[in-house]
Amino acid sequence: MDSTVKKFPRLPLSLGLVAAVCLVLGLVIPSDLEMRKPDTIRKGPGVTEVKRLSDWFPGLKGSAGDSEVYVLDSGKPGGSALVIGGTHPNEPAGWMTAIILVENAKPESGKLFIITNANASGFTHTDYMEGEPRHFTILGASGPRKFRFGSRATSPVDQWPDPDIYVHAASGQRLSGSETRNLNRAYPGRPDGTFTEKVTFAITSMILAERIDVTVDLHEASPEYPVINAIVAHDRAMKVASVAVLNLEFDGVTMGLEPSPVKLHGLSHRELGDATDTLAILMEAANPSQGRLRGVTDEALILKGQDPFYLKAKALGRLFVPYDAKGWPLETRVGRHAAGLAAIFAAWSEQHPDRPITYEGIPSYDEFVAGGLGKLL
Amino acid sequence: MITIIYRLIVVLAAVLVMAELFSQKSAKLKINAAIILVPLALRALMIA
Repeated sequence: MDSTVKKFPRLPLSLGLVAAVCLVLGLVIPSDLEMRKPDTIRKGPGVTEVKRLSDWFPGLKGSAGDSEVYVLDSGKPGGSALVIGGTHPNEPAGWMTAIILVENAKPESGKLFIITNANASGFTHTDYMEGEPRHFTILGASGPRKFRFGSRATSPVDQWPDPDIYVHAASGQRLSGSETRNLNRAYPGRPDGTFTEKVTFAITSMILAERIDVTVDLHEASPEYPVINAIVAHDRAMKVASVAVLNLEFDGVTMGLEPSPVKLHGLSHRELGDATDTLAILMEAANPSQGRLRGVTDEALILKGQDPFYLKAKALGRLFVPYDAKGWPLETRVGRHAAGLAAIFAAWSEQHPDRPITYEGIPSYDEFVAGGLGKLL
Repeated sequence: MITIIYRLIVVLAAVLVMAELFSQKSAKLKINAAIILVPLALRALMIA
């Protein structure tokens, strides 16, 4: 007895502390594991096949990067398009637009490939020290739909450690080390590269194998970021993008047009356009929940985009988008992306009448703004 | 391979901290050890 007391002094306290540690772990671990469960995405009337990125690059099979690819084949002649959502899982308008397309679009001509969670690993965690919620809920037609709000980057569980400097393999461009886990700095990717580079390699391989005519990568940006509410287009995509921007203006959707910088490497609109024949385009909406000037970051900010600090920033002339008490609601941002996609595919179809890409079932921008997202989910 | 080595190091550190938790007389040091165990356990389990 004495020797036990000497060996394990204050044993009840020690056991109590171990129990407390187990309690803390029991509270923390389920919340983390819940983020690893994929969101429910329903196959809409237009979905003809569900594939995975590993179908084009088997090196991803069984990994956290093996994202689903939804195929919507009209069965009629036409062009092919790839819509990429979820490159950055903290930019929900991008991947919500992709989900709404999967669940509602009915292709009339051509073939659509849609990725809703391009960086599936990024959906399994949130950015450190940002105080972001892990989920948000939208009341859909069939009841509440819960979606994850993830990180801009691949989870360190899947790729680590970060180098001090990230050298983009194809160009030698040097960026900060954490950008090594940014999907939109890793194109065109490498089969023997990092986890993130393997994902981009799979997407590039798919574009080459399926001869995708148009690729649109859906993003969001902070209101204080200059490239916002805009289409960024590769040189070869400018003709389609410029017509799309003009048509959007006629429909009351103001959209900027930016050329893809020739010397900024790793981004989809540059590398996919250079490495493949696809017309590479990226779209940005305005998302206050990812900005540096935001206040409390909660579900309301994600869904409504209303923030008093952004109102003040606007009054000081610091923002690149209009901003008032209405904020930037998610349905407005998704509506802009959906209208942008429609305009891009309409411009493509007009310029390539032998290879049209058309679909129905997606509301107009005004209908998104007035009706919200709920009835589409 | 690097991940396995990392996890082995973390598990070893957790075992040593756990030993400290039981062998220390001071309540303060025991509580310190318990607090340190939390992130070590999360790292070992690869919880982000």
